[in-house]
Amino acid sequence: MLGEVILVGIMVGAVYALVTVGYSMVYGILKLMNFAHGDIYIFGTLICLTLLTKYNLHPVLAILIAAIAGGGLAFLVELLVYRRLRAAQHRLISMITALGAAYVIQNISELNWGNQVMSFPSIVKSKFITLVGLQISVTHIITLFVAVLCIAVLILFMRYSRYGKAIDCVSQDMDAASLMGIPINRVVSSVYFMGGMLGVIGGVLYSSAYNAVSLGMGFRGTLIAFTAAVIGGIGSLGGALLGGMILGLSENLIGVYISSSYRDPLMYSLLIIMLLVKPTGILGSSDQAKV
Amino acid sequence: MMMDSKKRKWLLLGGLIACLLLVPMFVTDIYILSILNVMVVYSILCLGLNLILGFTGLLSLGHAAFYGIGAYTTAILMTRYDFGFVAAFCASAVLALVAGIVIAIPTRKVRGDYFCLITLAFGEIFRLVATSWIEFTRGAMGIVRIPMPKIFGIAIVTEAHFYYLGLGILIVTYLTIKAITDTRYGRAFIAIREDELAADTMGINTPIYKIMAFSIGCLFAGMAGSFLAVYQTVVTPSNFRLEESCLMIIMVIVGGMGRNLLAPLAGVIVMTVATEVFRSTAEYRMLIIGLIMILVLLLRPQGIFGSSSFKS
Amino acid sequence: MPILDTRDVTKQFGGLVAVNQVSMTVNKNEIVGIIGPNGAGKTSFINALTGIYKPTGGQVLFQGKDITGFPAYKIAKHGIARTFQNLRVFSNISVLENVLIGAHCRIDNPFHHIFLRPLRSKKIEQQAYAKVIALLKNVGLEEKKESLAKNLSYGEQRTLEICRALASDPELLILDEPCAGMNSAEMDTLADFVKKLRDDGQTIVVIEHNMCFMMAVSDRIIVMTEGAKFREGTPAEIRNDLEVQKVYLGEQEVE
Repeated sequence: MLGEVILVGIMVGAVYALVTVGYSMVYGILKLMNFAHGDIYIFGTLICLTLLTKYNLHPVLAILIAAIAGGGLAFLVELLVYRRLRAAQHRLISMITALGAAYVIQNISELNWGNQVMSFPSIVKSKFITLVGLQISVTHIITLFVAVLCIAVLILFMRYSRYGKAIDCVSQDMDAASLMGIPINRVVSSVYFMGGMLGVIGGVLYSSAYNAVSLGMGFRGTLIAFTAAVIGGIGSLGGALLGGMILGLSENLIGVYISSSYRDPLMYSLLIIMLLVKPTGILGSSDQAKV
Repeated sequence: MMMDSKKRKWLLLGGLIACLLLVPMFVTDIYILSILNVMVVYSILCLGLNLILGFTGLLSLGHAAFYGIGAYTTAILMTRYDFGFVAAFCASAVLALVAGIVIAIPTRKVRGDYFCLITLAFGEIFRLVATSWIEFTRGAMGIVRIPMPKIFGIAIVTEAHFYYLGLGILIVTYLTIKAITDTRYGRAFIAIREDELAADTMGINTPIYKIMAFSIGCLFAGMAGSFLAVYQTVVTPSNFRLEESCLMIIMVIVGGMGRNLLAPLAGVIVMTVATEVFRSTAEYRMLIIGLIMILVLLLRPQGIFGSSSFKS
Repeated sequence: MPILDTRDVTKQFGGLVAVNQVSMTVNKNEIVGIIGPNGAGKTSFINALTGIYKPTGGQVLFQGKDITGFPAYKIAKHGIARTFQNLRVFSNISVLENVLIGAHCRIDNPFHHIFLRPLRSKKIEQQAYAKVIALLKNVGLEEKKESLAKNLSYGEQRTLEICRALASDPELLILDEPCAGMNSAEMDTLADFVKKLRDDGQTIVVIEHNMCFMMAVSDRIIVMTEGAKFREGTPAEIRNDLEVQKVYLGEQEVE
């Protein structure tokens, strides 16, 4: 059964990676911890739920609309709230503001959908196949496939498109990039938008695989993104992928083999240890400021 | 007759304390007294948090955990081991202090963002463990039937009694923190907040001072928790969620961070009144708190009375 | 015995040798100037001396004591105070508090005294206050003692930083590019001030680019280039040294 746990872990890991990527890119550029990240993509996931159940839209259409909604919300939050604080004297001001935004979004979601756990339809019919002696759910495989596909598309986009290179420049040196004529605001907005979109896709995949969605997953999602980004290396796509995978795997292994009720405290402990020992993550580089 | 400015300050302070002491004589409405008691608890918490955040610049998102450590300590000692309140109170304070030291030592050289995450993670770990360790903390049901405190034979029963108890703790907290911050220690904390490197070159052993500020702040959180335990007679993990830590942070910010020790109290009053006024609309509670957080930080990040350090 | 004796102090960052075996001495009551082109390693050397960097090689002896690799706060306690190239006053607090913080390690007020000996604690703090007021008077900043440091003029802030460094009664005062951003009148005032400090018994090391200032102020000059000590001598010797001119100005085309 270890094989199955690992497989599930990999699937969860890929989904986590999707969710982490948006957060990590924002932090990479702006050094802002977007506390509202999880709540934003859960908002999108919940919209998807409504589109699927109330309006019976085709899944692909529903996901698309929801992803755009999620990205749009992220875009709005940046525009209305974060943008003004870019020059804030103390970083903690923007961090706490992000918390405030998280609460606002959480509350709005709660007003619309309520607090309890809701059932999320499976987008793909559940089927089990047996491969190398392991019981594998087709849903899980498709989830993994879609997640990896999205990340692959993103990586290609970042590496080969002009926009991707612009994002890279901005994350390295915002002032220099702006002097080169790169439209900072547009680049930042698009990063938030993409992050929101990918987060929603990740959220939908996860909820579809587990047939459940709830508000609480928002905050948990933010913590997942934080933890995965820290483990893998903040600001790098590869780091988000690696961190997501490690997190997904260890979460499942710990949950199954050690304890399910102490799973979250153990994950948080892992986060703390990582922050103490190598806060820049496995793939990250340490930054030394000049005196 | 011109009064010396320092004497004036003490006189004003004395007057303020006298007024506060007289309140229960004029206010008999239990509801209002209970609100005041809530304010008193948060005031103790925010004074401690201001030492950590406002003075030293450490963003602790786990303050509620130390509040919780104090509360659970008193709750368990009084219900299971028949401790008297005074002894339990002292134990709560000491344990919270020790816990603060334990967290502060490994994180003493950690960068601000990461420190913030670590305290957040610690706060969550505390809450989750309190919820899951059923044998010790009774999990989500919490510890109930905490006995009424008795101090030197006097039973604390009514809201007014608790008010005096809480106010007493608050005054001690205020005077202690004032005494510390009026000396070179207060200035050292501020130096660390402003420019850690420069502070190093002035003979300030910054890691040690950070540990000092953090653990003292946590000490008072433990005291507040002890009071909560006997006041509420019930202690559950839901009292110590991340939301609570955030609420305290926002109280400190709205009131004003920095040297003015009374400033955070303004934040306590504003936020308590706001949450009470909107209590009927409980479903909008976090929305309102979130909006206040955003608006204050966008428009006036130094809060009502805070130092200009935090102006954007 | 020299107050400061550095022996082959080296600081390496990976492959880059920022400070290359610099040996020099500073005697009591003299002003030693360190000059050199940008990137010569002057500030890195000072950082290695004052504990901001840990030297990767060599020794630093202060008043006969080996302080190599000590953390910054310990070195400050031993009696070395410094200012910074890019001005690091505490902008958001008052002038008075800035200097009081500078005096931190000389205020003998242990923590437990706050509660166990409150009267003594208060008295010590008052003594510190009086001392700082006297220092501020000396540099002409006493009237502005309640102003926020960031509201002072640039020159006043530079003076404040020096005053803050002096508040710890240092045996050795290090000034890192104190003239940056000053006009010549301000520089003259600063030169007089620094010389007066020396006349009153202070030992000073100054890093500067500005030749005129250095010539006017230094008793001895050390020239650094590419992380190493290049020349040492009196101002007159250094001024006339062709090699030093080359280091600063590059090879001159002889037509």
